[in-house]
Amino acid sequence: MKRHTVRELQDMIADQSVSSDEVYQLYLNRIKAMNDSINAFISIESDETSSGTEENDSEIKGVPYALKDIFCSEGDKTTCGSKMLSNFVSPYDATVVKNLRKKGTIILGKTNMDEFAMGSSNETSFYGNVLNPWDTERTPGGSSGGSAAAVAAGMAPIALGTDTGGSIRQPAALTGITGLKPTYGRCSRYGMIAFASSLDQAGILSISAEDAAIFLEHMAGYDHKDSTSSMEEVPKYTEFLNDNLSGKVVGLPKEFFDGSLDSKYQGLVSDSIHEYEKMGIKFKDISLPNIKYSVPTYYVVAPAECSSNLARYDGVRFGHRSSDDSDLDAFYKKTRKEGFGQEVKRRIITGTYVLSAGYYDAYYLKAQKVRQLINQDFLNAFKEVDVIMGPTTQQSAFKLGEKVDDPVSMYMNDIYTISSNLSGVPAISHPIGFVDDLPFGMQVIAPHFMEHDLLNIVHKYQMVTDWHLQIPGICRELDR
Amino acid sequence: MSIKKSEIEHLCNLSKLNLDEEEQSIFLSQMQSILEMIKELEGVDTGEIAPMAHPLQMSQRLREDEITEFNERDKYQKNTDFAEDGFYKVPKVID
Amino acid sequence: MSWETVIGLEIHVQLDTNSKIFSGASTSYGSEQNTNTSLVDLGYPGVLPVLNKDAVMMAIKFGLAINAEISRRSIFARKNYFYPDLPKGYQISQLELPIVQGGSLEIQLNDGTKKEVGITRAHLEEDAGKSIHDKFSNQTAIDLNRAGTPLLEIVSEPDIRSAEEASSYMQKIHQLVRYLKISDGNMQEGSFRCDANVSVRPFGQTEFGTRTEVKNINSFRFVENAINHEVERQIDRLENGDHIIQETRLYDPDKDETRPMRSKEEANDYRYFPDPDLLPLEIDQETIDKIAQSLPELFDEKVTRYIEALSIKQSDAEEIARNMQIAEYFEATLDHFSNDAQMVSNWILSEVIGVLNRENIEINAFQIKPKRLASLLSRVDDNTISSKIAKNLFNQMLTSADSADELIKQQGLEQITDEDSINKIVVEVLNEFSDQKDQYLEGKEQILGFLVGQVMQRTQGKANPRLVNELIIRQIKN
Repeated sequence: MKRHTVRELQDMIADQSVSSDEVYQLYLNRIKAMNDSINAFISIESDETSSGTEENDSEIKGVPYALKDIFCSEGDKTTCGSKMLSNFVSPYDATVVKNLRKKGTIILGKTNMDEFAMGSSNETSFYGNVLNPWDTERTPGGSSGGSAAAVAAGMAPIALGTDTGGSIRQPAALTGITGLKPTYGRCSRYGMIAFASSLDQAGILSISAEDAAIFLEHMAGYDHKDSTSSMEEVPKYTEFLNDNLSGKVVGLPKEFFDGSLDSKYQGLVSDSIHEYEKMGIKFKDISLPNIKYSVPTYYVVAPAECSSNLARYDGVRFGHRSSDDSDLDAFYKKTRKEGFGQEVKRRIITGTYVLSAGYYDAYYLKAQKVRQLINQDFLNAFKEVDVIMGPTTQQSAFKLGEKVDDPVSMYMNDIYTISSNLSGVPAISHPIGFVDDLPFGMQVIAPHFMEHDLLNIVHKYQMVTDWHLQIPGICRELDR
Repeated sequence: MSIKKSEIEHLCNLSKLNLDEEEQSIFLSQMQSILEMIKELEGVDTGEIAPMAHPLQMSQRLREDEITEFNERDKYQKNTDFAEDGFYKVPKVID
Repeated sequence: MSWETVIGLEIHVQLDTNSKIFSGASTSYGSEQNTNTSLVDLGYPGVLPVLNKDAVMMAIKFGLAINAEISRRSIFARKNYFYPDLPKGYQISQLELPIVQGGSLEIQLNDGTKKEVGITRAHLEEDAGKSIHDKFSNQTAIDLNRAGTPLLEIVSEPDIRSAEEASSYMQKIHQLVRYLKISDGNMQEGSFRCDANVSVRPFGQTEFGTRTEVKNINSFRFVENAINHEVERQIDRLENGDHIIQETRLYDPDKDETRPMRSKEEANDYRYFPDPDLLPLEIDQETIDKIAQSLPELFDEKVTRYIEALSIKQSDAEEIARNMQIAEYFEATLDHFSNDAQMVSNWILSEVIGVLNRENIEINAFQIKPKRLASLLSRVDDNTISSKIAKNLFNQMLTSADSADELIKQQGLEQITDEDSINKIVVEVLNEFSDQKDQYLEGKEQILGFLVGQVMQRTQGKANPRLVNELIIRQIKN
């Protein structure tokens, strides 16, 4: 089997070697053949068409994509991986979905995810684990695990995800694909079910940086329905892909290279740095002194926001509703007890705690200040370097069930990715090799609104390497 | 610092969540380790640092005062089986 | 022991915008249940608030009118609690950095004394929906049409010392928001609502007593009753050696009592924090200046102008200015007839308001528009008709579309001012009533009225009474 990139599909559709309907059917067939073994999709949209195209000359007309089930899409079940929304049908399109629909893209299905995007292993989904196509005993990462697995296994050429603390980059790294988290505010959050509003950002899981560039251009942009979306102009990302990298300066934060990374991964990182050096990139040691507080800061800010964002799930206007109608208080408590899984409850309670009287200053306010320090670390670093690089994760895909009972060790998974969300800067993960047949990823972080730099750098790397084109064995088995 | 069972109960009440006995004891120990982790922030010198609520330095945009949304009640109430006569229904509230 | 009452009022004013504070749904009152609810008002997953510009401008207007400071940067926060009329599980409000801070308002009491009441703050927030308890037998019905309607919450300092002051303050705020045209102030429809924080302390004591919050005092009459009742209750308790429990109490106008609200008793922890979906609201000086320039003339300025520039009696000036729509009517009439402002004022306060009260209508619905009233009064002023005939015409104009001039012409009502023709009738009358003429000459001057009446009768009231008077005296003395 061959995995097609968006770029290839565009060409195939353009020269009429295949119709967009045939492309759509091809992927639907793959999903039907593989989803039982991977569990990447919660629902399959098998009767979509691209008839809604407003722009006939759209370069991505007819390109199908997988949509994380956190995005509202009109008329579709939108579950957010939760029992709470297992019967919820969205009456409207998220802005990014609407933007892509206008360009004639087609939704293949809604992908599995950690419940309300809270998790790093996809094990908190009400719809069961997603399995990593590279090793089905392992996690694909989370929370956009379904989107990552779908792209890795060729069930979709490209997928949308969301990234609040690493939820695009970590699963991309663990499944051997490219994952871009744009700048906070680059893509509208309207219609993206909120987890932590000041950290959430929509992004892309794709085979290549080039594909991400193609899609981001059409997804991104100011939205009058999202007060936090940016009015910064959206560049034509594809035009920057082949820019010369010579003279670029990359910072390597000593905090990412403190010896805690296993040597087998360190070797891959060194190899890729070497590859970049060949392109004329200069590397420089830098320090982000407050980055070590990223995880605790995040685990105050994100739960606080989530505890409030998830208060709307009360069983009254939509979503799961307890049959216990005896009195209002019991009704609320039962509805929410039944509708939410453990991780979500834990975060709601943590968030309630850090916001409650007597603790607000010590936790929430303090975390907001430390967040500022972390942000300043980035601003200072970017005075000296163009981008920052480091491993995306501390290890490759771990076994399902390995960390599920230990929230703190699970939270530590996001140690390299969380700081970009706190600061709002864009970051991309791309595959740089394999350890024990499992992919490993490297992250590149740029200043606000410099996505074109990230895409340029990774594209150039992907022109001279083929790690991103490796296909999991399970896909080959399917062909037999 | 440690968190007590009664505090978990209070938090459950504020956030309208029920936990059964088992969940409560698991949460108690997990909350303990989460709080240990976030306690690390105590030692950070944040002196005169302004809290950061948003990643971008932007100010609130204002919407013109125009009616842009019209009645879609029936469409929106399809997501509940518990609407009657156009009203949403909840267990009897006593003031 | 003698007790001092300490009161602070929180007034919620619904701002008169077309659309809601954070969504494009209509704010119109009285629509069918849940038909003015957008996805944002319903708290649907994924939707986001965007702030209504006019709500902000109205808040600034209010702030400038009470000489408050307009925050150049203000923050929206979430107030978290569960209630069925609060779809998101939080209310978007302002806690730290409200849009308006530190103003004041002068109130006047019945005995004429004036007092300044401090206004701590005024902040923007969203209204909740409505719970209807008697619609279904075992369940409460929820209508979210009101959810998201913009509110300005105006919080006074604890400067108020009596129920009368409270009522006066509330009326003054009510008048102000109507003057500023930022609210219709309709209390029946809930556009203007008031909660009172009430405590008592022995005279001379500086620290405040324990306060209770009395909710649901939504009329000027109730505010006095509710506070008086609550003050009595508190004094009773204290004098009996009991203490006051800090609690929320509901005023029941039917029973004229306050009682604790059970649902609010549970100590709440609202967990306020800055709403991450909304950015800091920044207001520049230019915007503030522009609004300042557009502020209308307010009550006190108006009264002063009426007295000084238009020479109107103070009590009349206040009476006219009390209701801004009446004042506008008054001023519009003056635009067409400015010779005698006091006469216009007299007519409005007696005739016009008489009709409004009798027909129970607002001035906007009044049949005689300012221009028509002005033309009628001009004819009185230039002696074409007498005021008596004018009042008659006024009543005709209520049902006729004709102008005063047309009616005068149709009915031949022009006043007779021609001396010769009046004199002829005067001579006639004096001949007929020579006894009365003699009585006048003997010093019984009251008889003059009788004689004038006779002349007026013979001219169908059209003779100019002043002239008749003059001519009779002249004839008698001849």
